[in-house]
Amino acid sequence: MVDIGRRSLLGAATTGMAAGALAAAARAAAPPDIVIGAVYPLSGNSAPIGHDAQIALQLEADIINGNYDVPMLLGQGGGLPALGGAKIKLVFADSQNSPQIARTEAERLITEEHVVAIIGSYTSATAVTISQICNRYEIPYISAENSAPSLSQQGLAWFFRPSPTDIGFTQSMFDFFAGIGKQTGRPVHSVAIIHENSVFGTSSARIQESMAKKAGIKVLADISYQASSPSLSVEAERLRAANADVVMPSSYTSDAILLVRSMHDAGYAPKAILAQDAGFIDPAFLKAVGPLAEGVMSRSSFAIDATKARPAILKVNAMLKARDAGKDLNDLTAREVTALQVLADAINRAGSTKNTALQAALKATDIPGNETIMPWVGIKFDATGQNVEGNPVIQQYQHGVWHTIFPFDVATAPAVWNVGK
Amino acid sequence: MTAAIVVQVVLGGLLMGLVYALVAAGLSLIFGLMDVVNFAHGELLMLAMYAAFVIHENLGLDPLLQLPLVAVLLFGIGVAIYRGLIARALGVRFNTGMVQIFVTFGLSIFLVGAAQLAFGADFRSISDGLLANRTIAMGEIVLPLAQVAAGLVCLLAFAALVAISRTEFGRALEATREDRDAVALIGIDRDKVFSIGWGIGAATVGIAGVMLASFYYISPTVGSNFALIAYVTVALGGFGSLLGALVAGILVGLVEALTALLVDPSLKQVGIFAIYVLVLMARPRGLFGRL
Amino acid sequence: MRANAITRRRRRELIGGGVLLILLALLPLPIANVYLRGLIVLTLLYAGLSQGWNILGGYCGQISLGHALYFGIGAYASAILFTRYGVPPTLGIFAGGALGALAALLVGWPCFRLSGHYYAIATLVVGMMVLLLVQNWGFVNAAMGITIPFRMQSWEDLEFRVAVLPFHYVMLAYAAIVWLIAWVVEGSRWGFIWRAVKDDVAAAESLAVRVFPSKMAAAAISGGITAVGGGLYAQYIGFIDPDSGLGLSLSVLIALPAVVGGVGTLWGPLLGAAVLIPVQQLSVAWLGGAGNGVDLMIYGALIMALALARPQGLVSLFGIRSQAGGEAVDRA
Repeated sequence: MVDIGRRSLLGAATTGMAAGALAAAARAAAPPDIVIGAVYPLSGNSAPIGHDAQIALQLEADIINGNYDVPMLLGQGGGLPALGGAKIKLVFADSQNSPQIARTEAERLITEEHVVAIIGSYTSATAVTISQICNRYEIPYISAENSAPSLSQQGLAWFFRPSPTDIGFTQSMFDFFAGIGKQTGRPVHSVAIIHENSVFGTSSARIQESMAKKAGIKVLADISYQASSPSLSVEAERLRAANADVVMPSSYTSDAILLVRSMHDAGYAPKAILAQDAGFIDPAFLKAVGPLAEGVMSRSSFAIDATKARPAILKVNAMLKARDAGKDLNDLTAREVTALQVLADAINRAGSTKNTALQAALKATDIPGNETIMPWVGIKFDATGQNVEGNPVIQQYQHGVWHTIFPFDVATAPAVWNVGK
Repeated sequence: MTAAIVVQVVLGGLLMGLVYALVAAGLSLIFGLMDVVNFAHGELLMLAMYAAFVIHENLGLDPLLQLPLVAVLLFGIGVAIYRGLIARALGVRFNTGMVQIFVTFGLSIFLVGAAQLAFGADFRSISDGLLANRTIAMGEIVLPLAQVAAGLVCLLAFAALVAISRTEFGRALEATREDRDAVALIGIDRDKVFSIGWGIGAATVGIAGVMLASFYYISPTVGSNFALIAYVTVALGGFGSLLGALVAGILVGLVEALTALLVDPSLKQVGIFAIYVLVLMARPRGLFGRL
Repeated sequence: MRANAITRRRRRELIGGGVLLILLALLPLPIANVYLRGLIVLTLLYAGLSQGWNILGGYCGQISLGHALYFGIGAYASAILFTRYGVPPTLGIFAGGALGALAALLVGWPCFRLSGHYYAIATLVVGMMVLLLVQNWGFVNAAMGITIPFRMQSWEDLEFRVAVLPFHYVMLAYAAIVWLIAWVVEGSRWGFIWRAVKDDVAAAESLAVRVFPSKMAAAAISGGITAVGGGLYAQYIGFIDPDSGLGLSLSVLIALPAVVGGVGTLWGPLLGAAVLIPVQQLSVAWLGGAGNGVDLMIYGALIMALALARPQGLVSLFGIRSQAGGEAVDRA
């Protein structure tokens, strides 16, 4: 190609050999990074969630790579021991909450960045296309916080979900009803379900309805509303008219704010609100509605107050607060940290980044709950890739702090239960 | 369902309808003047809401007190948009109609991105203030103070618009609308009239935005929630008719509330669209449309 | 003389189209990069979709802001027929196309009597209305959408595990056929009528009786084409839901390449798609991580700049003039 003079060729060769020797020495010292992809909505409406996910995942990667000595699995740091201390390198891609872009970006991560696995993705629609494309390429997809049950029922061999699904979450809600009813002698006779009409709300409401029927609890209202409505006053009015024992909302942040305010304006103070997480645990919601959030309950996969049983929470939370504008770990970020932890553990046990080895290691995952920050029994996947040992808790917002109130043996505060009073 | 609930819902719908009407009025004014449908109208509303938020955060001014300030600010923005973009779009020789549609579409996308850059995508809200968390009770009927105030202010703003239309400037606006090309002959500076028209159109939506900010959440994409209703309202009322915007806005607010109450909340927007379709089939120019 | 000039131009167009077809067929072969290949597939899809819109919006002058409706109908029809009734998509997309054409007729029938902006808003409203209804309709799985899982490789089912090349040729065929349809329409009697109507108010009035059926025909063709594209999209991406199949931003994205490239021209939609789609997808890949709205600002600014600087579309850079027809003058 280019005509190089003999002298410069010799010079180049010498420099090249020296550089090569140095590089080889360096390579022998440090194994190659393990590249993991993460697809989240980094722009648009859900950008704050994606931004938080990015920070949480990077935090866990730094814990694994560094030497922060956190008392949990792979918390000692120093990279992955079985791969010579190899470090985790995260590559992020923006899904823009579009299933098409999510798929295209996931494919780009797989074919261009050569990621060994992908973590994602917050919304169900994007999880469908990402998990499908990962399956086609035979790369594992770790669903950090997608809760739609249908995702693990697609028959995908490369799909793994440490988090409980809406079925697990809703089951915990009705277990709570049964438990608190027995404990206080004031059981739940009726519920009012209100949900936004996109995937999250519709799926959640369907499950709640069927479980209520099974538990013999009357569903006095089942209101489906248009997300991002300018007004929810009529919906609030309907809830007031139903006057059920418990209002069960499935809403995103903006609607949660509007709904709570509308109920207050309608002069309706429900005896109990048990939310399907999402908007109701968003710090923005708590800030916006102030005292109206007092007593709100929500299911949660994460219990921030379980610091006795899960001491790692203290350190991880402190680190997160320092990096993310003082925000505490929440249901989403805690699961994202854990998802990366589960994946890293599998890579470590596989001893390689080969996809089939990784798949086998993931299938064989058996992490006890106390090696994580989650209040779960543990992480163990069934044949569909669903964790069967992830048990959610019920939390209540009391005086500005979320307390776990159920199951009773891990509760850190008694529930404020106004039903039947 | 008691009579009190129905009355409460109807009143709530009426109040919301007045807000829709004001948002639509600005749109209608601009269209009536120069045949431009401003597809960035929702984003002007969003800018007004952010302005209210920022002024509230930094100067501690209650939204009610900010009205003149934000109205002037939005007036300026409206004029700037006209001078910077629309005047150019009007001067285009080909596909004028389409250029106007897509220029304002591009502007709306740009403004959403700019808002996200400037403020982040987090939701903001003004949770304290003179109107926040207070209700007015009349017997069994309870209405949020913020929404009552919004409705009243919008009604007042409408009155102001009508008053403006009676002034000399208002007559110049009317003349320019009637015959765009001939007004130069009677000494009316068309460009100046258009500028001010855009300014007023933006200012009206600014007032609506400030009132909404008292009880609604604020985010870069909040404009799209109201924009569609605004276009429907304008088309329903008739492009270029202020009276049409008022009547249609109230109608839309009522239909939305009653559909939510009597049919199903998730179909309340469908109710609005259905009315729109029915009216337009009977009167393609809308209820009071002239052009 | 004029007729000869027209025939010569039309023949040149056909030859040009043929050459472009061959070039595009060869294009992906030296490109090993899967992402780039996928980008070309999407560009071809939107070239076809926008050309379909162009037939109604550009040639016929009816600016529709609700074309996602037909896209969604095609996508859902094909997806449901395949996943629930085992109908191969190679047939399903045409069933979807027929439904799309029908829907376009139903929308056109009342809406064509609305003028200019009223029509645009009406199409927008109809699109939103259907989106809301679909979100609540259990038969199409409401908000949760339809997933098309991969079972096995098959040309009949348009299922290819990871290979992008087959879809390249499918989309190329789609775009080419749509282009051809547009070429035929441009030179047809309808095209002549629409152009006459646009330039001359008196002609518009006298031809009014004949214009309506031709508009309906344009609507049906446009709707059908868009629906077929939707069906192909569903098969390529493997998932369709109300937001991704019926949303307003999709309607805009279908119209935009034609507007930016040049409405009422054969090459406008292609050129527009070739500019817009890569910009949109690549801005996500390059800027996405930043998540701060800059990509939207660029996209918006680009649209404004192109609309103002090149109202006749980018094709005007190549000296191609619009053959647009439609509404008799924009202002009274």
